[in-house]
Amino acid sequence: MAAPGRMSARIGLGWLFAPPALLFVAFLGVPVGALVWRAAAGGELGDNITSSLVLDSLRLSAITSTVTLAVAVMIGTPLAYLLARRDFPGKVFVDLLLDLPIVLPPTVAGVALLVALGRRGVVGERLDSAGINIAFTTTAVVLAQLFVSAPFYIRTVKAGFESVEPVYEGVASTLGASPLRTFLRVTLPLAWPSLVAGAILCWARALSELGATLIFAGNLQGSTRTMPLAIISAFESGKSIDVPIALSVILVAAAALLLLLLRVLARGAAMRV
Amino acid sequence: MLTIDIDRRVGSFHLQPQFDAGNELVVLFGPSGCGKSLTLQAVAGLLRPDRGRIELPGGVVAFDSAARIDLPPQRRSVGYVVQELALFPHMTARQNIEFGLAGWPARRRRDRVAYLVSLLGLEQLEERRPRQMSGGQQQRVALARALAAEPSLLLLDEPFSALEAPLRTMLRREVAALRRRLDLTALFVTHDLGEAYALGDHIVIYDDGCVLQHGPKDDVFRRPRSRRVAELVEVRNIIAGEVVAYAEGVAVVRTPWFTARVADAQAPVSGNVYLCIRPEHIIIVREDRDSRDPGNTVIDTEIIEEVAMGNTHRLFMRAAAPDAGVGEPLIFEVDVPAHPYEVLGIASKREWRIALTAEHVSLVPRE
Repeated sequence: MAAPGRMSARIGLGWLFAPPALLFVAFLGVPVGALVWRAAAGGELGDNITSSLVLDSLRLSAITSTVTLAVAVMIGTPLAYLLARRDFPGKVFVDLLLDLPIVLPPTVAGVALLVALGRRGVVGERLDSAGINIAFTTTAVVLAQLFVSAPFYIRTVKAGFESVEPVYEGVASTLGASPLRTFLRVTLPLAWPSLVAGAILCWARALSELGATLIFAGNLQGSTRTMPLAIISAFESGKSIDVPIALSVILVAAAALLLLLLRVLARGAAMRV
Repeated sequence: MLTIDIDRRVGSFHLQPQFDAGNELVVLFGPSGCGKSLTLQAVAGLLRPDRGRIELPGGVVAFDSAARIDLPPQRRSVGYVVQELALFPHMTARQNIEFGLAGWPARRRRDRVAYLVSLLGLEQLEERRPRQMSGGQQQRVALARALAAEPSLLLLDEPFSALEAPLRTMLRREVAALRRRLDLTALFVTHDLGEAYALGDHIVIYDDGCVLQHGPKDDVFRRPRSRRVAELVEVRNIIAGEVVAYAEGVAVVRTPWFTARVADAQAPVSGNVYLCIRPEHIIIVREDRDSRDPGNTVIDTEIIEEVAMGNTHRLFMRAAAPDAGVGEPLIFEVDVPAHPYEVLGIASKREWRIALTAEHVSLVPRE
């Protein structure tokens, strides 16, 4: 990324635009700062973090979001490649379907999943008679997260594959490389920054998933109560605001770490190319 | 022997080239968008013809719609340097060159890379990535990569178009020398007439998806077989006329301005024709000498404009109006090298006689 440089500094507007800019920075910064300050000032952050409510939800969130990411990468990468490189009947429809979870409220996703895979659902009924029950299990948490977060991965990776000029693949094939070798040695490395960005977006979205999980998976400590759900539950119990604060601080720290990682990885990838 | 005879529609464009060539440097020349690059893609196996046949040097049939043969690019043994080079940016020069040697034993692979590095003068650059190299260096790496697996055919798609003129000239010479040394058939695409002339042994003239004419370079440049080819190879002087007599390989052609003798063995022997004369083939007759050769056609002209082009001057010379009087004037374009231009004192005198020699005029049919 190029720095704006001296020329734009000469053009001015700095003094005129600084006040609204600073106002918004404060608007974002003050609540986050307050959260951290309260957590530290309370002095009970350590105790709260080690409570079973927090630990269970932390472990569950870590596991489900990672599994979601793994599944999204495994099924999303081939789909993204096909969307970027091939024309097939119904492609427009698939494209549209992928955008839906991005624009829909997650609660709608939860209802849709329940209608499809719930015990009385279109598919769920048959699964139920085969002895398989998905709704209100940890699997349901993963599916809810996958539904809303995988499209972010697929969108980003599709754009990444599209940015790789097909001529590289053509040349690789004239050099004797099989389609799979071309994909692994040429296309994938060239699209790598997009894969990393997509994975982080997807993971972050999975980690913050709330609405779809609540409806499709419920809110059971240890099996479906992820961190966002635990925050809601702690509020509703009305006991203390300290537990939600502790959970929130952990999520803020995780998010900040992810974003930092994204920057570092993206720069590393740019350096390699 | 390389044989190409294919047919492919791409939207409203119809690609239907037909030519063959031996172990030589074959230049595909024509305006942009005439199908030269698509032909290379078809030969490389990246574009599937609707119909036809492609036989590679060495007798391998790469494509034959009648016999249902369509070898994938991996099995065609064709080295392809694309216009944008497409060096793999995440690999070093060495890794790029090695890419096509995946199946080779490690020792042979190492020797091959070392050979190519010295052949193309890439010492010290092996561990660099493409963006750390100059345009000319990238060019050489792309060539080394294409040559690595010992292809039977080399395809070069305007590989020097992004380079500066002196570097282009040098690389052109290198490519021509390299091809001779490796005794390889090469197809070289260009839309630059100077490049086509400087490089080609054999030239293939493309226009709108078709091959209009192909053959040894000098034949095509000096003996175009149609008006369109004459225009494409910048004959410049294309004059309507009529064959009025023909005997022993010499045609007599009458135009409103002059009557010329033409010794063109392949020319039409009667009917309406165009006379084609290259600007460098027109002679300026010195005042103190008669044009003694009776075979020459001598015409009185007047210089109406001139353009200095560095080492030559292009003169626009209007022929004296014929007795009968025709609407349009006839203006010859004549190239004179800088030295004779000065010796003759052309700058200070406007009226000159020019001469056309029978051997340097060719005829193409006119409808």
